[in-house]
Amino acid sequence: MNFMSRLLRQREYGLTAVILIIGASVAFIDTGFLAAGNLKDLIIRCAPTAIVACGVMLVVLTGEIDISVGSLMALLAALMGMMISETRMEISMWLGLPATLLLGTLVGAFTGALVTLGKVPSIIVTLGLLTALRGLTTLIMGGNNIDGLPDGLGQMTKYGVLGMPISVWTAIAVIIVTGVIITKTALGRRLFAVGSSRYSAKMVGLNETRLKLFAFAYTGFLTGLATVVDVPRLPKIEAGIGIGFELLVITCVVVGGVSISGGRGKLRGVLLAVLLMTMIRPALTFMDVGESGEKWTRAIQGMFILLAVITDSIVQRRRKRRLHDL
Amino acid sequence: MTFKERLRTFRWWHELGLVILIIGLLAVAGTLMPRFLDLKSQLLLSRHIWEMAILALAITLIIITGGIDLSVGAAMGLCAVAFGMTFQYTGSLVLSCVAAMLTGGLGGAVNGALISKIKVHPLIVTLATYAAFRGIAEGLSQGVSYSQFGEEFSQIARGKWFGVPIPAYLFLAMAVACAVFLSKTPTGRFIYAIGHNEKAARFSGIDVDRIKFWLYASSGMLAGLATLVYVSRFDTAKADAGTGFELEIITAVVVGGTSIFGGRGNIAGTVLGLLLIHETRLFVGRYWQMDELKSIIIGALLIASILLYRILSPKKGRE
Repeated sequence: MNFMSRLLRQREYGLTAVILIIGASVAFIDTGFLAAGNLKDLIIRCAPTAIVACGVMLVVLTGEIDISVGSLMALLAALMGMMISETRMEISMWLGLPATLLLGTLVGAFTGALVTLGKVPSIIVTLGLLTALRGLTTLIMGGNNIDGLPDGLGQMTKYGVLGMPISVWTAIAVIIVTGVIITKTALGRRLFAVGSSRYSAKMVGLNETRLKLFAFAYTGFLTGLATVVDVPRLPKIEAGIGIGFELLVITCVVVGGVSISGGRGKLRGVLLAVLLMTMIRPALTFMDVGESGEKWTRAIQGMFILLAVITDSIVQRRRKRRLHDL
Repeated sequence: MTFKERLRTFRWWHELGLVILIIGLLAVAGTLMPRFLDLKSQLLLSRHIWEMAILALAITLIIITGGIDLSVGAAMGLCAVAFGMTFQYTGSLVLSCVAAMLTGGLGGAVNGALISKIKVHPLIVTLATYAAFRGIAEGLSQGVSYSQFGEEFSQIARGKWFGVPIPAYLFLAMAVACAVFLSKTPTGRFIYAIGHNEKAARFSGIDVDRIKFWLYASSGMLAGLATLVYVSRFDTAKADAGTGFELEIITAVVVGGTSIFGGRGNIAGTVLGLLLIHETRLFVGRYWQMDELKSIIIGALLIASILLYRILSPKKGRE
């Protein structure tokens, strides 16, 4: 295998190359981009995306999709705020935070149940939830922002332990757990199996319903986790939290080389894609294109998905042709 | 044919159900708020539905082929910016309209080419272009909103013939054309064939790729047309034009009985679906005066309509 085809075929190599090129060229313009403080900021920004991407990756591996995570995050943030804020219900955060996680898991499981038991396509379910949950959030918040979260929580999520906010440590833990699930457990292999061929998976006796339910519930749980560790960093909770987050997460999963039809993908690729997608905005800032440049962030994101799917399909076609030649 | 056979072969159950639902809704709304049924206010409030309705026609055809287009709302943003910028530089309305239509057509052609030539899943392609179109619109316009296109231009959406808004005529003409195309021409029938079984359609000599390409391209062009109505109505062209349209359009089409798996659906259903959603929104908006409730109900309606369909006709539901 020559260098170019490896670069195309193995998404991790390509992504690493792109990240290095962007990093190097921005650092060439302004070395401040590689300053420790900036790198730390970059990692903190990556954390929530990485956490949720781990869940959505599992969903996509089984051949489904979840585009409701951004709205779910807003809903959970609102509910969390209502529960633990000093100006609202004032429930202890040791009760309120697990409750948030539980609610996230429940909504995820509900989504999964509609997809598997209700047999409604996941794109439709999550498209519906994308709007419905956002509406519910604004309804609950009633146009007011929520502030007055417990000081301890703000401290922990902002400054954290051992020099890194708690969200980063959570992300690392989630990545390890997800990595172990994917590569070392029967559950992980079964998720791949269902995604690559539903029919064969059924024939060997795998329970598709249960596997997909798990993937959706896990995503819901991780969305709750990301909300709990990342949202309290903000000065106040607004109804607009997480708008466009679902698109960012799906972008990372697809750009990271996970096949949208399921059954193929690596966690490493997804994490590299999270880093790449997150560094676009700070890179634009450091290139000193100012306000005007940052408005291009979304366009660049879209371009990256297109680039990823086009290379993917070209590689696929080549592989098929090679199989034909044999 | 006996009455029983007639009942069994009756093809319009879904449409009948929708009509009953709409009548039921109007009856409830009319009793609670007698002024709701006032024709004049209904026509006045119908204004915001037309651009969505125009786009729903294209989306119906696309969903019948088994595809989907999530990028139409974002394409409207891009068309609006193209319109505004052309107007700013040339001052010519005609050129601006052409620019908007061309931009939409080009965007749709990008979707179509990726889907039919490179064979990427429509969901992913249009999710990508959804981000890309809106992003390019934001980047190009830098958040500026263009306005003051003149009184004449705003008459397109605000003007009336015989008491009915002008865009309504545009929509009705297109809906009839679309319905005839779908049910009476070979290409229209091929669209169903593609949705039923794409491989079989391909093997029977239908140029699947070409039909798909033109469907997505025309969806883009219609986005351009819808943008003209939208811009004319608000007298403002901004990158956020058409935000959230994709969801409401897909909901209307799916509620209207078009199968999300392709192969089934018609224009009459879509028109009824649009009407049901429109009246639901109006009623909820005016009775409870809460905007948030509308999005909850539309999201729920989308999921519930497919769920109901699955429960009521388990045999028909294809895997």
